Amino acid sequence: MTSETSPRRHAERLAIDRSVVPPHLARRPGGPFALHRGRGRVTTLVRPVLGYLLVLPSLAVFVIFFYLPAALLFALAFYHWNVFGTTTFRGFGNFAVLFNQPLYWQSLLTTAYFVVVMMPLTTLVALALALLLREGVRQARGGLARSLIFLPHVTPIIATSIIWAWIFNPQFGLANFVFSHLGLPRLGWLEDPAWSMPAVMLYTLWHSVGLYTVLFLAGLLVIPEQVVEAARVDGARGFALFRRVIWPLLSPTTFLVLILVSVNTMQAFSQIFALTGGAVGRGGGPAYSTSTDAVLIYQTAFTYQHFSLAATMSLILFVILLAITIVQKKLSSRWVFYR
Amino acid sequence: MRPPDSNTHGAPAPGDARSATGHSRRLTGSGRRLISVLIGVGFVLPVYWLLVIATGARGDAYAIPPVLLPGLRLGALLYVLSHTHIVHYFLNSVFITGATIALVLTTGVLAGWGLAGYHYRGREVLFLVVVGAMLLPQQALIVTQFNVMFHLHLLDSYAGLILPFAASSASVFLFRQAFLQLPKSFWDVARLEGANVFQYLWRVAVPMARPAVATTILLTFISSWNQFQWPLIMTSSKAVQPIELALSHYMSSFSNNWRDLTAAAVIALAPVLVVFIFTQRYMVRAVIGEDRGVTE
Repeated sequence: MTSETSPRRHAERLAIDRSVVPPHLARRPGGPFALHRGRGRVTTLVRPVLGYLLVLPSLAVFVIFFYLPAALLFALAFYHWNVFGTTTFRGFGNFAVLFNQPLYWQSLLTTAYFVVVMMPLTTLVALALALLLREGVRQARGGLARSLIFLPHVTPIIATSIIWAWIFNPQFGLANFVFSHLGLPRLGWLEDPAWSMPAVMLYTLWHSVGLYTVLFLAGLLVIPEQVVEAARVDGARGFALFRRVIWPLLSPTTFLVLILVSVNTMQAFSQIFALTGGAVGRGGGPAYSTSTDAVLIYQTAFTYQHFSLAATMSLILFVILLAITIVQKKLSSRWVFYR
Repeated sequence: MRPPDSNTHGAPAPGDARSATGHSRRLTGSGRRLISVLIGVGFVLPVYWLLVIATGARGDAYAIPPVLLPGLRLGALLYVLSHTHIVHYFLNSVFITGATIALVLTTGVLAGWGLAGYHYRGREVLFLVVVGAMLLPQQALIVTQFNVMFHLHLLDSYAGLILPFAASSASVFLFRQAFLQLPKSFWDVARLEGANVFQYLWRVAVPMARPAVATTILLTFISSWNQFQWPLIMTSSKAVQPIELALSHYMSSFSNNWRDLTAAAVIALAPVLVVFIFTQRYMVRAVIGEDRGVTE
């Protein structure tokens, strides 16, 4: 690709097939690629460095706003840093302070409670919905139901938390109205430390299950129909068909969904902030019952200005989440079902 | 991976129409469909109730039994529009979202071609760095991101709400995939005709990658319009704050005025609903494509 080569020889050497033309350029006067007529010079910009340069804007964003903060986590967790800009090395001192905080352990327990409930709950509901929608989607008629179930996932969390705060209102909310008609006790929901977390879970389920349903649907649709049909011919019906044929073939998707639910649940923040205290309480209430790890990190850093402590908590969360993601990637490359 | 409705234009799946018990199965099929639509309606009921209360009479929020039909009164909407600064917050969101989309498209196209069009040492590593950014757990970075923003003097500014999201791994990934599929001869011919790389991208490559453009716009629109935690932490003045933050301010100041509060929520929700109604199929595909792309 030297500049001495004439365009014609260059074209011959590259064996360019000029009959392959982008359709939207095919009818341009002067030929499909007549972008620079009259200039007659072959641009020989092609140097590898251009590749780097084109990636640079994206790379800069990722490095400055994502990789650098990730690296800073390690630095900050081992230092004491305050708003006046003075830093002192503390070794594992921040960890020691943190592990002596009962509130931190409580937040880990709350997070674990959240994750342990959400993983099976979300997965089962999403799987049930996907199985229900499956035939319809195959035949182009399940589109409406699928869209309706998916819609909550794209709604802004604060906007829809407002209506859920009303639904959960103990006096006139919909939840207690339904409960009392079903003969169930009326609950305090977001105002009761025992029921605030279940209320957050219900909102989270509503907001996210559509995503996982659609993931399961995609997983169901790549199961070859011949396999299911062969099992039917062999007499498999109903639950046996599901248990022996569909469930094993679906396992990569199930695994993916379980991981995504756990990672997303550990990072849930906005709905807790909005539903349990709003801008005044800064989330986490009542009586710290919804103070998950993510909420506590936010409060430690931005309410109490304990940046080093917050960074230490973040580092622990970072390592846990990254480990889950890496394990998932390693395992899924072994599990993913190729045809 | 195949999109979920790639099958939808084909013939009915075998085993349904030609099954011996075709008649009874079709009946259970329509029963299933009814149940699934009913469940779907259940899922959008909260959004419906938002409209009911926002357009209802004063005090409808406290009615027992609950009011079932929207009152179609626009009083609360007009009150919120005229007596609060919601229009200002709304326009902030429009500006932030628009600028983010434009930047994400630009950086995505450039990086996509930078990773697809050239061979150079370290290209694969560069690709992993770009895509790997998506795997970093956002919630664990927020504290140190605040430090970085502080030192770059980006706190409480439009730039601070836009620049960190000016590139997206998903967008780079999508454009790279799209550009890898283009025949090499397009690029060779364009170069012979004297086009530089930007002309090639603008006139040839991007028009051929329309699905990637559409997906990037949808994903960025949703994540940018819905962003809450980032502006909550990175901004303090009304001048630059987006609408989700306004809603959270109103949640504390309007505390018991459910009608005005829900009216404000409807205003924040409306653009998402409108876009969703017109692009639902695309959007479902875009979002699950992103999530599977990250993890597979």
